[in-house]
Amino acid sequence: MPQSEQTTYTFHVHGMHCPACTLLIEETFKELPNVAGVHASLAEHQVTVTGDFSQPPERIAEKLTELVKAHGYTISLEKSQKGVGWADFVYALPLALVIIVGFLALQKMGLTNLITSSDVSYGTAFVLGLIASVSTCLAVVGGLVLSLSAISAKEGGTWRTQTLFHVGRLGGFFILGGTVGVLGNSLHLGLTANIALGIIVALVMLILGINLLDVFHFTKRLQFTLPKIFSRHVVAGSKHDHYLAPVLVGIGTFFLPCGFTQSMQLYALSTGDFMTGALTMLVFALGTLPVLALLSFGSLNIAHKPWKGIFFKTAGLIVIALALLNLSNALATAGIINPLFNF
Amino acid sequence: MSKAILISICASLLLIFGAFWFASKPAGVDNETAVSVVDGKQIVDISAKGGYFPRVVLAKAGMPTVLRVSTRGTFDCSASLVIPKLQYQKFLQPTGTEEIPISPEQAQGTMQGLCGMGMYNFQIKFQ
Repeated sequence: MPQSEQTTYTFHVHGMHCPACTLLIEETFKELPNVAGVHASLAEHQVTVTGDFSQPPERIAEKLTELVKAHGYTISLEKSQKGVGWADFVYALPLALVIIVGFLALQKMGLTNLITSSDVSYGTAFVLGLIASVSTCLAVVGGLVLSLSAISAKEGGTWRTQTLFHVGRLGGFFILGGTVGVLGNSLHLGLTANIALGIIVALVMLILGINLLDVFHFTKRLQFTLPKIFSRHVVAGSKHDHYLAPVLVGIGTFFLPCGFTQSMQLYALSTGDFMTGALTMLVFALGTLPVLALLSFGSLNIAHKPWKGIFFKTAGLIVIALALLNLSNALATAGIINPLFNF
Repeated sequence: MSKAILISICASLLLIFGAFWFASKPAGVDNETAVSVVDGKQIVDISAKGGYFPRVVLAKAGMPTVLRVSTRGTFDCSASLVIPKLQYQKFLQPTGTEEIPISPEQAQGTMQGLCGMGMYNFQIKFQ
């Protein structure tokens, strides 16, 4: 029997979530002496291996698993029966609803009436930040933070990813706040851009929320991940921690549609001074930090608990609800539909 | 069906209906004091802070109208005023009064005003 025949096998990969993962798997398998070609596909959760194998496919799968087990992947012949975990919804659905109703009740309480002064000091900016972080802005900024950090925690991101996000946010508010002050020109977007941004953020949240539910698999294709060429540089250093992306997302929150942020920006621009503008925005961002940090580090912590399935599904449901709320709000502002809610 | 699933579904339904009742309940009363007529001009007064008050105003149609929006320490979304029908958009000062003219031709039907992110709204019903 000729043993040097090239055969191609397709295996299923369990635990593969990111473009960097496909690279890692490809690089690892390529190092095997009898492997001629490897192609891993994220969308299919498959890896195709071409080479000279003398063993039955079951044994190859076992051998390949040994190589990547440390990274959390399992190679198998059969598509692993991935439990959707419907049972988790028994707890997740009521839990998510309680939180959403609580959030709505919080809005009805009239938190904005706590602000009595009409001029902005650093103290007011901090209080405004605190209020903003539990106000309707939470639907936008908080929803995005929750979905991104839960997804990141789910994919094996560490505290570093979350910290970088917050550092990016604080730094971004400082520098952009100062820039606004010096330019005396508002950086906040016009109405059309605001509505467009609102719709984009809502759609991103919707996709991330559906991903968190882990029920449908088609959204994995739509998931916003870094391009493969970019991951190639990151994969060498660390498997899951991207450095630039969380910082950029953190800075980007400066432009998210939130009334409080825009008010602060207007004040910063009226100061006409870099330091005053920068510090006002920084203090405001610091005010929003406790709630946002709780969301991101909380999800990171829970991601390793036994009841994480319930948490991810609860988070997913909340994020989807907030995404739909943001979407209806954006469409109402555009004058396309009548407002459905009034807080 | 197990008991847990049944309880879960009941609790969920209760919460969903509760939330809708909560969020859609018309809080603003038709406030006649918000409308006054000075020198043949109709003036509609609305205050903006944590929402718009009153939420629904009944006004006369086809009359030159001025919408007067006053802010008082307003830093939230309601400072960012949008009126789609007038193609009006402005970020109001935290404290002050903004006068928006509405021509007799525009003073027809229902005019919707919202904050920039769409969380708060008000209606002027011209009739």
